[in-house]
Parts: sequence; C-alpha cells; structure tokens
Amino acid sequence: MMVLGVNGGALGGHLGGWRHPDSFPTTAMQLQRMIEIAKLAESGLIDLMFLADGNGVRQMDKPTLFAANSPSDRPAVFEPVTLFAALSQHTRNIGFVATATTSYEEPFMIARKFASLDHLSGGRAAWNLVTTQYVEDAKNFGRDEHMGREERYERARESLDVVRSLWDSWASDAFVQDKATGQYLDPARVRLTNHRGKHFKVKGPLNVARTPQGQPVVFMAGQSDDGKDLAAYGGEGLFGTASNKEEAQREYADIKGRMPKYGRRPEALCIMPGLSVYVGRTASEADELYEELQSLISPALGLSYLSKIVGFDVTGEKLDAPMPQQRKESVGGTAIGRSVLDMAARDRLTVRGTYERVLPSMAGNMAKGTPSQVADFMEDWYRSKACDGFILSMPVQPRSLRAFVELVVPELQRRGLRPANYRGKSLRENMGLALPADPFPARISPANPEAAS
Amino acid sequence: MMKLATIPNLVGGHLGGWRHKDAFDKPVMNLEGFIEMSQIAERGKFDCVFLADGNGVRDMHMPALFAANHPSARPAFFEPTTLLSAVAMVTKNIGVVATATSTFDEPYMVARRFASMDHISKGRAGWNLVTASNAGDALNFGRSEQPREDRYARAQEFYEVVAKLWDSWAPDAFPQNKETGQYLDPSRVRHIDHKGTHFTVKGPLNIAQTPQGRPVVFMAGQSEPGMELAARYADGLFGAGTTKQDCIDAYANIKGRMARYGRSPDELKILPGVSVYVGRTGAEAEELYEELQSLISPALGVHYLSKMLVRDLDGLPLDGPLPDDLPEETLGGSSLRRYILDMARRDGLSIRQTYERTLPALGGPVFKGTPTQVADEMEDWWRSKACDGFTLLQPVQPRGLRDFVDLVVPELQRRGIFRKEYETTTLRGHLGLPEAPSVWNTKAAERGVA
Repeated sequence: MMVLGVNGGALGGHLGGWRHPDSFPTTAMQLQRMIEIAKLAESGLIDLMFLADGNGVRQMDKPTLFAANSPSDRPAVFEPVTLFAALSQHTRNIGFVATATTSYEEPFMIARKFASLDHLSGGRAAWNLVTTQYVEDAKNFGRDEHMGREERYERARESLDVVRSLWDSWASDAFVQDKATGQYLDPARVRLTNHRGKHFKVKGPLNVARTPQGQPVVFMAGQSDDGKDLAAYGGEGLFGTASNKEEAQREYADIKGRMPKYGRRPEALCIMPGLSVYVGRTASEADELYEELQSLISPALGLSYLSKIVGFDVTGEKLDAPMPQQRKESVGGTAIGRSVLDMAARDRLTVRGTYERVLPSMAGNMAKGTPSQVADFMEDWYRSKACDGFILSMPVQPRSLRAFVELVVPELQRRGLRPANYRGKSLRENMGLALPADPFPARISPANPEAAS
Repeated sequence: MMKLATIPNLVGGHLGGWRHKDAFDKPVMNLEGFIEMSQIAERGKFDCVFLADGNGVRDMHMPALFAANHPSARPAFFEPTTLLSAVAMVTKNIGVVATATSTFDEPYMVARRFASMDHISKGRAGWNLVTASNAGDALNFGRSEQPREDRYARAQEFYEVVAKLWDSWAPDAFPQNKETGQYLDPSRVRHIDHKGTHFTVKGPLNIAQTPQGRPVVFMAGQSEPGMELAARYADGLFGAGTTKQDCIDAYANIKGRMARYGRSPDELKILPGVSVYVGRTGAEAEELYEELQSLISPALGVHYLSKMLVRDLDGLPLDGPLPDDLPEETLGGSSLRRYILDMARRDGLSIRQTYERTLPALGGPVFKGTPTQVADEMEDWWRSKACDGFTLLQPVQPRGLRDFVDLVVPELQRRGIFRKEYETTTLRGHLGLPEAPSVWNTKAAERGVA
C-alpha cells in the first residue's frame, strides 16, 4: 500500500501560496488552521502529518525574502511536539511526525517528549531525526561555528541509539498498579540504559512507560552518503529529496541495498519523496492555479529565494543569463541546493528559468494536472520502485489539500493503491511497519505457561 | 481574592493514596484521568493546574519504596508541556503550569516550548522554573550534581535569556498582507544577542509574541538564593513553609526583597502547598485520613522517611529518635527535608511519629475537617498574610479534588474570598498580574503610538 503524508503547516508550499485568495486569511500561530488541516487530511485517510522544524529565525540578512516569508523559513511556528500534542485531541488516526535535532537536544529530552506524544496520541507519534545544518541555529546554542558533517552524523547515530535504548527502559507490563497488594510497579521489569559513549553519558531509565507503539516511529531526511547510511541503519521513514524518478529509483535501491548489512529487511523503511501537487478538475484548472501563483512572485523576490535555495547570492545576476554553477561546499550546503544546480546544468536553464522551476515545489517533484494525471504520476513512481509513498506539499492551503482529498484520493483508492479505511490505529500499522519487540522476556506466570519453556 | 492552584497528580499526595478504593484504578500514563482532573479544577474556578516534574526515575536503590511508588517519584509520567498542550484543548479558562529545569535544558528550547504552549492555550501557560534538586537526574545528562550556588547562578541567567527571547517580536510584527505580499515586518523583530557566563544566545525566538506577552513564571525553592531569585523575577511561588508562622515569615521575607528590584509585592503570588482532607463531617475526614495511614507498613514508612531525609534509616529503632548526625544541608535535598527535620526536633518525634506526620502531606501542612473548618484555616492563613492563596494537594484522586470543589469552594465563594466565575481568559489575568513589560511597548511610546 502506498503511504501518504502531508507536509507542513498552514502556509502552503509555494512562496506565493499564502497570498492566494483561497488560502487562509492569516496563518501565523493560528492553531485553528492546523486543526483544520489535520482534520481535512484525516478525512482523506492521509497516514501522517509531517512538520519540518528548526531552532532559529532565518533570512534576516535578506529583508525582502524575510518579509515575504518563504515556506521553509518558519519565523513564527509552534514547537512541533506541543502542537501535535494539541492536535492529537482533535483527531483519531492520523500520525504525527515532528522534527527534533540531535545537534542541540539531549537524547533524554528527545526520548521523553516523543514517548509522551506517543501516549497522548494513542500510538501516532514519530520523530524526524535531523542534524542541524543552519549556522543561525548554532548561534542560539552558544556556538559560533556549526559542527562538521561527520561529527553531526556520528552524534546523530549515537543519539538515536540512546533514545531507542531509553524507549526500551520498561517492559510493557512493568506497571502492575495492584491496589490490593500495594505493588505499583515491578522493579524487575525496568532496566538502566547505562550508556557511556563519545558524545553522551546517559544512565536511564526513561521516566515514561513503554509507549503504545513500543517505540515511536523514526523518520529521517537528507541524502548525503552519511544520511543514507544512517537511514539504512535506523530509519523507518525517509523524507526523500530525489528530484526525478530515475534519481529516486537509484536512491531507493541504494538505501534499501544498505539495509541487510545492518540486519534489516527493506520493508522496515518507508521511502517517501516530497511531491508538490497542483490538481484541478481539468488540466487547465491546475495550470491556472500554477500560473496564478507564479505571477505573485517578482523577479527580485525570485532571485532572493533562489539565493537561499542554492546557498549563494544570485541577486546580482542577469535574469536571462545562464544559471551560475558556483558551488559553496560549506557545512550548510543542502541536498536541495545541489539538486537545483544539477537541474539547471542538465536543462541549461537561465537564472529566471531556474527560480521559476524552483518556486512551485521548492526544487522537488511536482505533479500537475487532472486527478488521473496526478494519480498516474504517483502510481508510476510507486510501481517503479522509486518510492513507498510520498510526503505531499500543498501550494495553497487549505484549498490544495481539500482538492487532493476530494479528487486524487478516490482515484488512488479505485486503483487499489490506497485503503478504503485506516489500516489501524497506530502510525506503525498505517505505514505497514512492524511493532518493535518488547526487550524484556515474557513474564513467567500461571497465566502464561509458555513463557517458562 | 485568594488564588488557587492544584497538582492534578493521579496518584494523590499520600503514599497510600493510589491504593484507596476511590482512587483512579490505573494512574500510569492515563490521559483521560488528567483531563478529568483538569476539568474538575476548572469547574472549581482554580487559577491553574500545576505539574511538578523531573528528568529521571528515582528510588531505584530502594526497591520496596520504588515498587510502592512515592507520590513525588513519578517513574512514568507525560512530559508536562505536551500533556498540558493536550489538556488545553479540553479546557477553556484554567491556567496550565509545567515544570522545566534550567540545569539540563537550553534557554532556546524552554522559551520555545512555553511560548508554543501559551499560543496553544491562548494565554494560559506558566513555566515553573526549577534548578533540578534530584541528584540522580544529572546522570541522564552526562553530568555530576552541581552545587546550589552554581545552579542558581545559571537559573538566573537562564531566566533572563528566556524572557528576552519571549520579547523577540513586536505584537504587530506579522501583518500577513496578501495584497502587498508583506508577511512580516523586519523592523519589528530583534536579535537578543545575549552573551553571558553560562549562555550565548543570538535570537530571535522563532515564535511570535505570545498572548500573555510572557508566559507566567513560577518558582518553588525556599533556599536563600531561591528566595532572592523569586523576589527578582517570579510571578508566582509554590510552597513557602509548613506552618502558618513559617509562611508568614517567608511571605514577609520574600515580598520585602522585591522593592530592591523595583517590583511591588502584588507582582508575586505566593501559594504554599497544603494537603486537604475534607469530609461532609469531621468524622468523614478523619476516617479518610486513618484509612490512608493504615495502608502504610512501618517498613514502607521508614523507607519513605529515608527518601525524604536523604538518609537510610532502615534498622534504626522505630520508636527511637532520628539519628543526630544528619547533616544540615545535602546536595539534592529539598526544602521539605529541612521542614521535616525541624519538625521532628522541635516536637521530639520518634522515627515512627515522624513518618506518620510526614505521610499525609509529603511533610507539608494539612488542613483537615469539615468544609467550614478547612475554609476557616484557608481564610485565616490568607488574612494573616501567610500567603496569597494555596497550591492544593489531595491525598486520593479524583475524590479529593472533587470533594474540595464541591464542598470547600462554595464556602470560600460564600465568604467572598474566591471568584465565582473567571473574570479573564489568561493565567496572568486570573492571578491579577500586571501586563508583562516589553521593549516594544517602550518603543511604541517613544514613537508616540502608545
């Protein structure tokens, strides 16, 4: 079954999305909008909501872009775990993927908040593990320089190990809560983590009971070699950034091919590339939305946006000159930036041509057209082993999500690519992931005689 | 008006509370239970619910006590800002106050979580700043226990950074004008550029200014540096003594320090912790009390007292005195430890008598009796300037909170010393606190806008 997530908040995925007449009138810190999106997504049986995150305000050195608010800058957003805790009380089935960075957060705090969210949501929590690559974020944590890629990934892997070990602190039956005997918990059903590594020393145990999913689901993103290896080692969901089908197929084979060396089966990881969807009842309706949004972006804003995406300044470039290929291999370089430059070179794009291609989908994949055209795109990728599903980006909210739910979801259901109902209550069930084994041996008791043998 | 907070712990405040027949059957990770408690408190027009917290599992070295679950041990608990964000969805008025430590957390993270919770709850969030007094928690963060002075120096700077981060954006910073394409106004946000002893934080915070401007800040410690920090920065203070006289002294002491920070005494609400055993009759209250005391074996009682005093008392004669070699100060010891020691020495208590006196209220004061008797004591303390209100702990939940709301709250309302309805929608408003200061107000005034 194809797995589907919806990306982002109320703002919409196109730089001009929030200005469209069909977008929410206001979005900054608007809880009600997020509730509406969650419910709308749930009405379309979307498996999960995904929230990217950072710990800083970006683009303050680019006032034009800053004022216009690019969709991935998030100058004023909820802290994602508290937001999802709130949304969990308005929904029943949809999963919640919140981002937290291993670069600045302590494993104990990460383990705790995601375990807490898993309990609050009845088994719908996931942690999107990221390593922070923004220099501006580093400065909010007493660091002038960001740590290098190698150190970031080494730390990430150790953090993941510690977090998982903390999630395994308690047996699922540890809390007896027997009023008659006075036994609240069984001290034999909890264990210390006792981790002493290069980056962390954590004694444990976690002060949260084993969660409904056993462990929250772990997502990752990022397509560097280190990132792919970490995903093969420990990811259960991967927000893919491949920007065309062939690249996605190569990455799919590459990452899944690395899993056996970690003793994992390929189906234990769901690879979900980003996909921006422009759908209309007719192809011209989809085109019209696309053009409306493109027309909202002035060349000055487009250049500023492109500078952000590629990681170097192109605001002085001539619009109709070829896109420069200057690469800045800094620690802040992103996979998206590299893939944009590759695309510009491959397709011989001008500067204007490049930003016009980048705007609608943040340089990711785009499916535009009628419901069956969009479904064709998705089915083709899915059947070609380019992905296990998609994380959908919606250019104008809530219009685009509503259109997807009303028009595309039924088409995918007709094709047998999507279920008629949620497959289960937990995110693991809906993603087709196995429940992690309880690390404690079964209790030997008269009620459970098999455990003795 | 008297201010009321309550701790909605599902296990209750008595060591035997969770075993009582009227207690929640399954308190562990029970969201519905917390929702029920918060809604009862809201029906009783409480100012806020308050969640104590720590970052570790305690008492593992004392298996009998560990298995029996000390009310403040919390071996399996929701992370409080996530729990209260959920609770905010099913309540409308009551404040939601969560604990976070300045010792192991980062100011940027704390500023973010509480600002987020303030937006989610539409102005009802509070942060209880603690320095983490439980020695074992440090071992979950790769550190060893720090001396109190260091913890408080860090706490003060931590608070200052958080307060500045909360003031990153002007209230009008997000015009979100579809016509012009201006989502935000770059002139209405500032870096905080904090460079201090413990933290270097550039800012700004990535959350718009919150409905309260600044979430309400509570503190709890009664140590000398704790009182000083509270006088300087706190909006609320949990706990301030175990007897009325202690509380009167602490109240005068702490409020007396505020002038030197340019604050009026009204800007800090002091809410000592009190356990309430109330019944329709005095006998009903006594019966509950005795039922709970009888659930605790001497062995468990001794373990409990050992924990409270940070000293193993196992094997000492039950009816003999506390050992006289107990140190006056311990790293990781709480203010309660001090109170218990003082009480035992003052009243010449045996080990058994000390744990029996400590059990019902975690060493804090107990108000026991009919609704009138409980209201009398509350009113007396309040009118004697021992407090601005109370943080109420009930021995058995949800019975204790429900009885308080049904029996005592109407009596307080009848006397005109507690609200009949919420007058405001924010925690700051409920507590009668002034508007949070903001650099943006000053700037507006300078421009002649305000």
